[in-house]
Amino acid sequence: MSKEAPAPRENMGAPVPRFDARLKVTGGATYPADIPVADLAYGVLVTSLVARGSLAQLHTDKAATVPGFLGLFRHGDMAGTQPPKFGVAASSIGPLHGDRIFHDGQIIALVVAETYEAAMEAASLVTAEYDEERPSAGFDTQGTETTPGAGASPLFGEDVHAGDFDAAYAAAPVKIDEHYSTPTQHHNPIELFSTTAAWRGDQLTIYEPTQNVTGWKTELSRQLGIDPNRVRVISPYVGGAFGSKGPMTARTAIVAVAARRLGRPVRCVVTRMQAYGTQTYRAETRHRVRIGAERGGHITAFGHEGWEVTSRPDAYVVGGTIATGRLYAYGSVATHVDLVHADRNTPGYMRSPPETPYVYALENAMDEMAVALAMDPIEFRRVNEPTREPIGGKPFSSRSLLACYDEASKAFGWSDRESAVGSMRDGDWMIGMGCATAVYPTNIAPCAARVQLMADGHARVQCGCHEIGTGIRTVAGQMAAERLGVELTKVSVEMGDSALPPAPVSGGSNSTASVCSAVMKACDAIRNRLFLAVSGEGAPLAGAANSGMSLGNGQVIAADGRTVTLADAFATLQTVLIEEYAEFTPKGASPQALKKLYAGQPEFRGGERDDAVKYAFGAELVEVRIHTLTREIRIPRIVGAFAAGRIMNPRTARSQLMGGMIWGIGSALQEETEVDPRNARYVNKDLQDYLVPVNADIGDVQVILVPETDPQVNPAGVKGLGELGNVGTPAAVASAVYHATGIRVRDLPIRLDNLLT
Amino acid sequence: MANRLSRIRLSRRNFMVGSATAAVAMPLVGARAGSQPERPSETIRYTAPVKLTINHQPYELNLDLRTTLLDAIRDHTGLTGTKKGCDHGQCGACTVLINGTRVLSCLTFAVMADGREVTTIEGLAREDSSLHPMQQAFIDCDAFQCGYCTPGQIMSAVGCVHEGHAASEGEIREYMSGNLCRCAAYPNVVAAILQARDETRKA
Ligand code: FES
Ligand code: FES
Repeated sequence: MSKEAPAPRENMGAPVPRFDARLKVTGGATYPADIPVADLAYGVLVTSLVARGSLAQLHTDKAATVPGFLGLFRHGDMAGTQPPKFGVAASSIGPLHGDRIFHDGQIIALVVAETYEAAMEAASLVTAEYDEERPSAGFDTQGTETTPGAGASPLFGEDVHAGDFDAAYAAAPVKIDEHYSTPTQHHNPIELFSTTAAWRGDQLTIYEPTQNVTGWKTELSRQLGIDPNRVRVISPYVGGAFGSKGPMTARTAIVAVAARRLGRPVRCVVTRMQAYGTQTYRAETRHRVRIGAERGGHITAFGHEGWEVTSRPDAYVVGGTIATGRLYAYGSVATHVDLVHADRNTPGYMRSPPETPYVYALENAMDEMAVALAMDPIEFRRVNEPTREPIGGKPFSSRSLLACYDEASKAFGWSDRESAVGSMRDGDWMIGMGCATAVYPTNIAPCAARVQLMADGHARVQCGCHEIGTGIRTVAGQMAAERLGVELTKVSVEMGDSALPPAPVSGGSNSTASVCSAVMKACDAIRNRLFLAVSGEGAPLAGAANSGMSLGNGQVIAADGRTVTLADAFATLQTVLIEEYAEFTPKGASPQALKKLYAGQPEFRGGERDDAVKYAFGAELVEVRIHTLTREIRIPRIVGAFAAGRIMNPRTARSQLMGGMIWGIGSALQEETEVDPRNARYVNKDLQDYLVPVNADIGDVQVILVPETDPQVNPAGVKGLGELGNVGTPAAVASAVYHATGIRVRDLPIRLDNLLT
Repeated sequence: MANRLSRIRLSRRNFMVGSATAAVAMPLVGARAGSQPERPSETIRYTAPVKLTINHQPYELNLDLRTTLLDAIRDHTGLTGTKKGCDHGQCGACTVLINGTRVLSCLTFAVMADGREVTTIEGLAREDSSLHPMQQAFIDCDAFQCGYCTPGQIMSAVGCVHEGHAASEGEIREYMSGNLCRCAAYPNVVAAILQARDETRKA
């Protein structure tokens, strides 16, 4: 055990190393663009230089003279295919289905050549003429259209409310009314986006990093007008996703069409810069938060209005008021979300899509309220701890927020914090300490899995889930090893292929709960078959009650202590392999839920959809240091304590939460995609100018896994935590910056120019 | 209306025009489809024979002179452990060792490595295929999540130790800041380098 592999506490599994650790340190893990494909041709995209208008002319003659040029695909070449359907697809925009330009960086052509170098050269020689129209870049620019967020998506049905907010707010003796904002951000996984399409006859194989092999198979076959069984999507390893590889972009079908027309496989690796306009992103948001409270600190009124930028055609909405409206014991709640349609590419899921912006606004406002009330900010949250959530009056399946604050405060040394603003200093450095709550819903969806157990104790798990770096392959294997009583080293796990049993999209932190529940179900069916066989008349454990039986150390163990080896147990069945295929559906799922899973449209439960509200919680405490002369902002240490039900593997859980908090630090201090308001184009489109944390930006990051047992949440007892870690961080940093300087920054990111006085 | 990307590629090409040497014929197939007219097959411009030694293994390649060392390694030798994260020297995913020094292979033309000894992640394990201490430390310290930046991190870590820039946590952080990890395994990368430092020096 070590810091990186923490000893398990109650209701936690072993901190075993990742199944794929050796492959990942030897270069043996194959990401989709690594997979060798014979006779490969190389594709390079050409993208629009204007954000709105239509394509008047595309000059391709020069490109065609480049030696090695094979073909160019443009407007008109997707004839016979269907444009994407927003949902599983990232956008409804089919860029080559018409001549309309909807946003900067839209694909206008795909150039294919014998080599990457020739394709790049040819693509650089393609020029376009546009009938340009004046674009709207986002908030505060002319020509945008505002529509209600409620009802725009099945994920955001209504604006939540409770009680009489107006009256309670008017009557409150202490109140605030403030505006906050979060900027455009791009995921920037280190793996470049890519598509490789290979046809064998009428069978299409796509190698592409994805969080949704089943959904993509279905959507791509719909676009191409072919049987879904003729499409296979393979994505053995994904080099970081964070939501960016959830929705399928228009490129996938374009590359598939090019490969079909050229009669050879095509690989298109998108440049870092082109990813900004051809993939999704976190759109900028604005918030107005009003909080009213009694002098003792009890909140009587909470109002949260949000505005989100989206594209012209697609009503992408995150609607984080669903969670902020339920976080504390507010007396009354009023919320409203509006969408602002601009000439931008369609945004998409990015790590904690609703919570990152909305909880940032709420938690920054909570800190302002604590100041207004002259209360310790943690104490203020303690006073407003609910027994039931305020919107539907439902209980929480479990809620360990205060335990998280207790453990985090102790580890951080919160009691040493001097409450007065600007009172802590170390030489030339002003010190500030701040805190914020992290919250994330526990989502779960139907999931299928196939498990095989061999007489020699080897087990094999197959599930069309995705190893995006979370450790899902490892924890699925741990679940199988535990339920089947075999050594972990004898378990193999296959994922990332649409030919495997379908799993939901790896998004919304649902994978561990959904996959482990399905694996458990398959394992339990295997157990039952074995138990029945060995307890029958004349069998080795004749007469033993099945309910008291277990599997362990490669044996079947009866309640009375009798045992039989797996080999002998299999002999009674006269078989060497038992295979079970399980289809898990969460409680409350509709009768169509399984059918939808196979169609790539998983139906989610959990969160606030069930009888109890199912959320994971955390408390984040951070120290900032701000230089008195330069205003440089440093974060020497951050402590996060999180409770998320059963922790399958403390090592991988810690890494995800640590990575999340570092994401939060990036959001707080660095990340912003600048949009030029004059032409609605992205400005800082690479890793040089889009700042993400580097090693030297990060100090001590402490993750505390707080024990929590929640049998109600789902069969595996697991809450998702991949997105929990970055939810509280930006507000905690803002709180600490205020504590150090007395300057309240409400618009992210917080940069040193915000602190010049 | 050339965008920024085009300009970069064009300037590379213009540079190569002046220095191109013998063009070696490569069998090519002409355009078979697309909206362009059929074209006769031609040769790739500016190719040259390049001799690379990668992980002690000699390779004789005919490459378009514009081919980066990164693309030569990935696309022409089948060693795909080295990763492309930006192609612009901004992320470190493509880090390899050339004669023991860490180098960004995306900013190095393949011809520039002609005759030099290139080590990639596949060449780091010992001959008996036991792991290099740095690889083992990355496993022990869970110094990755998705694993995509990892080959670059490990090669860079080995280079960092040999350069003598791993004296303290602070120095490691500073000298490993050219290797981005979006999964943000940074504290674990530092822990791994501290663990493997002394053994790596001896290795
Ligand atoms: S690929 Fe070479 S530095 Fe990013
Ligand atoms: S491990 Fe994913 S980018 Fe570093």
